Amino acid sequence: MTLSAAPRLVRAPLPSWRRLIRRSPLSLRIGAVILALHAMLAVLGPWLAPYGISQMGTGIPLSGMSWAHPFGVDQLGRDIFSRVIHGSHIVLLLSLTGTGLGVIIGSVIGLLSGYVGGWIDNIVQRLLEAIISIPFLVLALLAIAAAGPQLAGSPTLVILVVALVYAPRVARMARAAAIEIATRDFVTVARLRGERAWSVMRREILPNASSVLLVEFALRAGYAPVLIGSLGFLGFGMRPPTPEWGLMMAENRALIIITPITVIGPGLALASLVVGLNLFTDGLARLIGRTAPRNPA
Amino acid sequence: MSGPPAPNFVEVRDLSLAYLHEDGWLQVLSGVSFSIAPGEVLGLVGESGCGKSTLAYQLLGYRPPTAKLLSGQVRLGGADLLAMSRAELDRRRGNRVALIPQNPASALSPGMRVGRQVAEVLTAHRRAVGRSAAMAQVVQLFEAVGLPDPPRILRRYPHELSGGQQQRVAIAMALACGPDLLVLDEPTTGLDVTTQQQIIALLTELRRRKRMAMLYVTHDLGLLAQIADRVGVMYAGQMVEVAPTRVLFLQPRHPYTRGLIASIPQLRPGERVGKPLRGLLQRDELPPGCPFQPRCDFAEAACAAELQVLEEAAPGHEVACRRWRALASPVAIPLPIAGEAVQAAQMPLLALEGLAVTYVSAGSMFAKPVSAVRDLTLAIERGETLALVGESGSGKSTVARAISGLLAPSSGQILFKGERLAGRLRQRPRALRRTIQYVFQNPDASLNPRMRVGAILARPLEVFFEARGADLRGRIDGALQDVRLDESYAQRFPDQLSGGERQRVAIARAVIAEPELLLCDEVLSALDVSVQANILDLLKRLRAEHHLSMLFISHDLAVVREVADRIAVLFRGELCQIGPARAVFQAPMHPYTHALLMAAPSGPAALAGLVRAPEPAAAPKAPSDAACPYAGRCAWQAGEICEREPPPWLDAGNGSHIRCHLSLAELEARALWRAEPQPAGPPAAAEERAAP
Repeated sequence: MTLSAAPRLVRAPLPSWRRLIRRSPLSLRIGAVILALHAMLAVLGPWLAPYGISQMGTGIPLSGMSWAHPFGVDQLGRDIFSRVIHGSHIVLLLSLTGTGLGVIIGSVIGLLSGYVGGWIDNIVQRLLEAIISIPFLVLALLAIAAAGPQLAGSPTLVILVVALVYAPRVARMARAAAIEIATRDFVTVARLRGERAWSVMRREILPNASSVLLVEFALRAGYAPVLIGSLGFLGFGMRPPTPEWGLMMAENRALIIITPITVIGPGLALASLVVGLNLFTDGLARLIGRTAPRNPA
Repeated sequence: MSGPPAPNFVEVRDLSLAYLHEDGWLQVLSGVSFSIAPGEVLGLVGESGCGKSTLAYQLLGYRPPTAKLLSGQVRLGGADLLAMSRAELDRRRGNRVALIPQNPASALSPGMRVGRQVAEVLTAHRRAVGRSAAMAQVVQLFEAVGLPDPPRILRRYPHELSGGQQQRVAIAMALACGPDLLVLDEPTTGLDVTTQQQIIALLTELRRRKRMAMLYVTHDLGLLAQIADRVGVMYAGQMVEVAPTRVLFLQPRHPYTRGLIASIPQLRPGERVGKPLRGLLQRDELPPGCPFQPRCDFAEAACAAELQVLEEAAPGHEVACRRWRALASPVAIPLPIAGEAVQAAQMPLLALEGLAVTYVSAGSMFAKPVSAVRDLTLAIERGETLALVGESGSGKSTVARAISGLLAPSSGQILFKGERLAGRLRQRPRALRRTIQYVFQNPDASLNPRMRVGAILARPLEVFFEARGADLRGRIDGALQDVRLDESYAQRFPDQLSGGERQRVAIARAVIAEPELLLCDEVLSALDVSVQANILDLLKRLRAEHHLSMLFISHDLAVVREVADRIAVLFRGELCQIGPARAVFQAPMHPYTHALLMAAPSGPAALAGLVRAPEPAAAPKAPSDAACPYAGRCAWQAGEICEREPPPWLDAGNGSHIRCHLSLAELEARALWRAEPQPAGPPAAAEERAAP
């Protein structure tokens, strides 16, 4: 029996950043490009926009698409395209901070509740379920009404409302993850050292739940601009003349028959942000989720 | 080409295969060739990562999408499987070639009754027309694989069956179409010893009846001694030795094979031959030349230069080592039995008095509490290693969990240095939590995958000693050296370590807390045999260096014999026998101890025909408090009294205590196991005696 000396195929390892890009899913790369465009708009908006935020008389009111006004001109003669660009950073900031806050609060509640278990967990879960059972727009409107007229229209309130809507939903996912992780032996080892729940949660459970929480952040962040837009559209979010996209769609909704682009324009901006966020965070979660080596033995 | 001159039924030629790795292609099979004759059983053995499973799957023509075939053919009855279309493969898979997977729990579909799953194979290959005809055949198949009450079993879902029954269903599924070749991928690895023996017995019998060829893949060389005609040894994707089973055990030629055989723990003193394997197989940093050369005790400069190819050392015996002629026959190294002369101190380190633990099964408030351990009394002296032995479900781990404070005992007490330990962890002072440390079975689960090794080792130091800065780092480096790992390992994550290295880290984490009592819960059973020997040596060394007492939990008697001073045998939560290690392995012994010993796979001993057919697994009866717990399964029943009265403790005189209704004389007479010290010599001694 002979055995041919087959060549050994082992390549030199790539530098780590190039390896990371090679391993990253396509959705992450596409999402990153879209998000980079949005981030650029948010930062450079004031210099890139052809007109000012509330600059009137930029063109003939109610005119449609043109090279000068890609998204048309509204009733007050403001350039919609410029306003969309100016509004970019508002939408981004509100969505990300609101979602971030919601994920942080929800994670802490959910992970602790899942790890501690018992009657505490039972009570916390019933409370969360009660909140989740309220449709989120109704919940948001209730919270805004409860906050009173002084706070109405402030960005802080919008952020808090987004966090309030998301936290209970995130908490349920975090709890499920915590219950699974809490059965693993390394958590038992930490318990055997006599560590407190907070310490176990922070050191042992949270790092292992991070991929689940990132997926949660992804899902929620992707939808947050829609939630904020809905609030704006209903008149409960930001106040005019803030160029918040939902609010702009509401302002121009009467014109939809005459110049549909004035509503579609901000809508397109919103849609591209939502798609970009979803692609990016979904890809990121998948990249982070790959801890185990994938090659079979 | 060796083997029968007739066209071989299975013919693998020059097979090379690579997997897509994150850094490129990694070759997992390099020019593998072998053949299997009709009705022959070829065993394939090697450490994890050697490519044996990959090779086995090639016989089904299966490659994951990340694999690339570099060269070779797999001929099954003349046709090349690797060149076939998907449809042609589908006609053969499950029909002419069938797979018995490692883990039946994941191989059976959880949402489908097992009868239908097996019937599906029959209808897919048109072996049965119609549902009722298929089901009738399934009943026959279930009978053939020894499943009790087939008509009822086939209506069960997989989770309603035990591990052994699930594997029987998987075997029935593989046999459904009467295949010519059965590929078995570690079919008994997940099962406990007694079940493992029953499955092996079933496979041996099926093989005799149906004359099927088999490829049996395992990391357990001892098992192959019982079932294989020939054994192929794989290392780093190459076949390094192929020989008939007996020849391989008696005259291993390749240094790697010799290391593997030496790594098998032995039940009898003085049988361990040669040195166990050192180091680890590292796929991504293979040297040029012979891949085994860095771990080889016989390597020369030339070994690093040229690749070794199989050559014939004797008829039917091929070896891929240029030095095989120079290797002398194995030398027996007398192995000291673990010391028995531990001085009984005034007060034991740990004493359990009438310990009982009951579980209330979760989910139902009104569920009857299940009693896991009943009335257990035993002690561990300072510096002593007590082994707790029994099959899975015997309550071994429960005992360790109760001692550690994870489970509060329902009655009885635990005394540590004479003082009563609080049942709950919270009520124990920090110093006490430190002095009792727990090492878990599976290092994959007991190390936080998101923490670097350094951080994992730092936690006990921070919690117990409030160590900081340079002191902390110094102690971590010290602990890594203690378990023979390089200091650079502190920067690694657990998934960058091998299984053995992970268990070393887990042990280091326990020892770094400077405990007095180490609870080792099946710490070897998740590891490769070659790694087991290393970890065992490590534990023995640490025990001596740190003056540790150990509670060593294991189902593997051979391992226990090497490490324990005293052994306690547990059955269904009750003690059957306890005594010094040497005495427990001598007649008279408890019927259950005897059954365990007879079922233990142990290489040459098994080869020598010492393995008896395992006892039938009788339906487990609900143990009543009034009866002997083993009465339902005991082959030596003393009579009706076993069901009626709890057995008395007998003093065997040699330090061993046995709980049985039979008298010592009867127990002695019935034992087939003899532990007379054999003349220290190569396993050939055992072999010759058993030869007819």
